Amino acid sequence: MQLFLEQLVNGWALGSLYALFGIGFGLVFSTLGILNAAHGTYASWAAILGYYAVERFGLPFPAAIAVGVLGGGFLAVLVDQIGFQPLRAKKAGMLGALITSIAFWIILDSVAGFATQQQSLAFPASSYPNQMVPIGSIMVPQMQIITILSLLVCTVGIYVLIQKTRIGAAMRAVGWNEVAAGLGGVDARMVILLTAFLAGATSGLAGVLGGISTANVSFTLGEGLMLKGFAAVVVGGFDDVRGTAIAGICLGIIEVFVAQYISTALRDGVTYSLLLVFLIARPRGLFGSASFMRA
Amino acid sequence: MTRMNTVFAGLSRAVAVTATAGALLGPMQAKAAALAPGEYTIGFVTENTGPLAAAGLSYYHGAQLAVDEINAASWMGQGSKLKLSEKESGSDAARAVQALSQFVADRNVIATTCCILSPVAGAMKPVALNAKIPLVLYGATMPGLPQLPYVTSIVGLPGPQEVTMTKRLAETLKPKTVTYFVNADNEAFQGRFKAAQKVMEDAGVKTNGVVSILSADTDFTAPATQAMGTNPDMIMVWTTQTPAGGIIAALRARGYKGHVSASDVISPPPMFKKIGAPLAGVPFPVLFSAEMSTTAAAKKFIDEYQKRFKELPDAYAAQGYTAMYLIAQGLKSTDGKPTREGLAQAIASIKTIEHNLYDGLPMKEGQADYQKSLIGAWSPDGKVVAWEPK
Repeated sequence: MQLFLEQLVNGWALGSLYALFGIGFGLVFSTLGILNAAHGTYASWAAILGYYAVERFGLPFPAAIAVGVLGGGFLAVLVDQIGFQPLRAKKAGMLGALITSIAFWIILDSVAGFATQQQSLAFPASSYPNQMVPIGSIMVPQMQIITILSLLVCTVGIYVLIQKTRIGAAMRAVGWNEVAAGLGGVDARMVILLTAFLAGATSGLAGVLGGISTANVSFTLGEGLMLKGFAAVVVGGFDDVRGTAIAGICLGIIEVFVAQYISTALRDGVTYSLLLVFLIARPRGLFGSASFMRA
Repeated sequence: MTRMNTVFAGLSRAVAVTATAGALLGPMQAKAAALAPGEYTIGFVTENTGPLAAAGLSYYHGAQLAVDEINAASWMGQGSKLKLSEKESGSDAARAVQALSQFVADRNVIATTCCILSPVAGAMKPVALNAKIPLVLYGATMPGLPQLPYVTSIVGLPGPQEVTMTKRLAETLKPKTVTYFVNADNEAFQGRFKAAQKVMEDAGVKTNGVVSILSADTDFTAPATQAMGTNPDMIMVWTTQTPAGGIIAALRARGYKGHVSASDVISPPPMFKKIGAPLAGVPFPVLFSAEMSTTAAAKKFIDEYQKRFKELPDAYAAQGYTAMYLIAQGLKSTDGKPTREGLAQAIASIKTIEHNLYDGLPMKEGQADYQKSLIGAWSPDGKVVAWEPK
């Protein structure tokens, strides 16, 4: 039973990383209509920036998280303005944006490789909370608790922002029809910048937390999150952060339990089979609205 | 009679002249039979980017040092020099094959060397065989890769050094139960795991569990929990580098106090820099260690490497270095201007690599046969020291 509970928490924490990443990915897709293949690089860069903030400048853990989150956010804004804004102005459509995002993915990945000298780095153990916390009969690493709480805060915060505030209404309006939103008095440019920043920042948070938890800060970090985050978004529904959060957690738990009780070899197969089932049977995902269409 | 004397005298003079001429021309004839002076290009398929770049850079630096050393000492003969021509593969099989094909097309390239990953080496092998170009493998460990005369390997087959270490661990630590970590997607590490498991089971040590992971995995909290759940006296980690470091860090972070052992993948200094204290005291078999290797050639290599690259060489750098000396030795033993086929035959006939860092390095059917392995461990302050049981 203890093993089951420990693995449940392990899966929950792992899934929280997928979900955090997926929230940003889904936000860009639902609001800006971009299937952004470069999104994983925001997480890689955030982790790299956070690492250097600690390693080179000796910043404390919260500051390293802030550097990573802000770095991910600003990088997303930069990519949007350089790569996607000109396409948006020309109404180039989703395919053009996808191709552009692939180009950014390759460029940012390569530069990240140089920034890390192609090596896998790790935050010094003394730079983050690395103790075990007793919860009932099990011991839980502090970083897992921080990751799970981060997802909770981000999910609630972004859900409230989108559903309950005027900014959120503007984001939904731009997501539905940018021109109509503009005619209705919405500053579409500002909404786009804010959305890109939020998306990059949440993915950046996933990158820094993932880099710390797994002792792996490298230019390939975002690629792993990208595939699983995409699965979380598809299963959860593109336009609802609650769905992404729940789906991400479920994917993490399933992944851990399949490895524990069935076979490691089948772990990713089960995850992607689930993705396939949802794409066929329920393409709008668990919480996605029936009227939401992008493809 | 006088006529006979005259004939004998004439013959004697002829013999004397011939003998004198032979004595004078002998060295010149030997010279003509040596390697023709010139620049010999080796096509080096590098892995300086991609997931194995840390190791890839070590192999490459070791090779660079060897080439400069060989040239500076005129090791292959006066006027004969080696030149490295690099093409990057990023540990990707398709890119590696493309690089090899380009080397094949370049007639200046006399031999090639490549590959850390066995599947990449497996993809390169038929290309080298078809093109009849010597290919020296510097990192891939899967058995059966060498195929004489064209494909040779300076890598030791997995098994002997792992067996030596495991026997010592079983004798000194006397564990009753062991749980193993192994790469589900890497045959070489599965071979190492099976060799170690057999030694342990022959010694009466029970297998409590086998936890499989994948090379691309980065989160090892759940696998560490799984292994600790089997409650073993000892955990042996037979995985590739990034997982090995992650697993050991996760085990210690979760409070595992039992014995842990690993393979030589945790021996490079960047691994200790990355993982730190959790690696201290974890034994691993190693063929070369900057802190433990004591032969004169090894000491010189370590000094030169440190001067040039501002860091200590690891086992991979030593392998890159060895690959260059194997090719140089092959070239040195050829006559005149060698062809690729001729060089392949020369390399294939090498029984011992003359210049090596391992206190003797025989070649057996195209594969290096390392006979002396060390058991090392990281000290808490980040030095590789001889492992002592605690």
